[in-house]
Amino acid sequence: MIDFLQNWIYLIGSMALVGIGLYIVLTNTHIFRIIVGLNIIDSGTNLFIVTIAWHPKSVMPIYTATNNLVVNGHVISADPLPQSLVLTAIVIGLGTTALALAIAVKIYQKYGTLDVRKIKEEDR
Amino acid sequence: MMNDVTIVKKIFAIFVVGILMIGFFMAFTQMPKANAVNVNDTVSRFYVMKDVDQATQMLDKGTYFNKNMVPLRNDVPYTPITFGKSANLEDGAANVVTSIVVDYRGFDTLGEVTVLFLAASGVMLVLHGEKRKVQKKKTPPSEIMYVGTRIAFAVIFLFGIYVFIHGHLTPGGGFPGGAIIASGILGLFLGKQGYSPNKAGLTIFESLSGMAYVIIGIIGLVAEHSFLANFLPTGTIGDLFSAGFIALIYIAIGMKVGSELSAVTNAMITDTEED
Repeated sequence: MIDFLQNWIYLIGSMALVGIGLYIVLTNTHIFRIIVGLNIIDSGTNLFIVTIAWHPKSVMPIYTATNNLVVNGHVISADPLPQSLVLTAIVIGLGTTALALAIAVKIYQKYGTLDVRKIKEEDR
Repeated sequence: MMNDVTIVKKIFAIFVVGILMIGFFMAFTQMPKANAVNVNDTVSRFYVMKDVDQATQMLDKGTYFNKNMVPLRNDVPYTPITFGKSANLEDGAANVVTSIVVDYRGFDTLGEVTVLFLAASGVMLVLHGEKRKVQKKKTPPSEIMYVGTRIAFAVIFLFGIYVFIHGHLTPGGGFPGGAIIASGILGLFLGKQGYSPNKAGLTIFESLSGMAYVIIGIIGLVAEHSFLANFLPTGTIGDLFSAGFIALIYIAIGMKVGSELSAVTNAMITDTEED
């Protein structure tokens, strides 16, 4: 059981995050909750991309005095390329979230509510 | 208002999400264990625990890549890297992720900084033109809050600078360092009623640091072969003055991200109406 968890916990967790975020986006009509759900999906995909480059026995891809990336001819570090891709994705997720929240503030100032259905009724 | 239609919709949503998750998970249950790694597989998980000797032999035989692919540089032999001793490497950063982000994919990071700049200017464009509303907090911050946030700001600012100067040696870098500095400025908002940072100063800081990134890239274009090429000596791995221009670029990115996020925080706080 503990071996199974060590191997798969991050993969299961990333899938669960994507599922929770998808559920929130599908079932809520409040704009702020939809943004939160999209953020949770974002975290899940980032965790997934990092996890497929990771191994329970791997070390961090940083050279320090005690951390050797190559031992006995075996590369034992995690793959650094997906981590750098995720570094880009995190920053872009932050920017889009900030812009979405600013637009949500404007919607609230115009309609007085953030519920999508009430906004649609008011538009008619 | 939990009528039947809502419950049916929620059950349907759970059903859709479950099917998607099972589909995702099915794709990865067939993975072999780490000891039985086939080097020919190209999924990134198999990178770990790869046998370097075996990979070198396969490179020599020509069976490492697919039939029609030719390795870019197969003339370079593998030399082990020792922390604190190996000098004049291709990219002397001890943090491998940083060397990928800033050196090998530096142009992509320039685009990333541009995306963050566009998002910040979009926030300020959308929230611009509001009449400045005086915030009415239920309990105004006390004297202890005022002094404490200022002392904490000094420490947080110093830690942010440490994080982005040591980006090529330790985990972190320009983006986390800038976010740490912006969180310190967020603390200043808590400490004083109606606090506002110097907007002109933030704009000038942001523009200058963004220009510094492009200027460093153009210096690389003039001094070396291409845009954003590493034009400084790469020193010994593990030193503070190593890895060429990575520290310079991370200083520029850290200042830019810090001032941008502070401006976004300022726009969101001062223009939000409180009941």
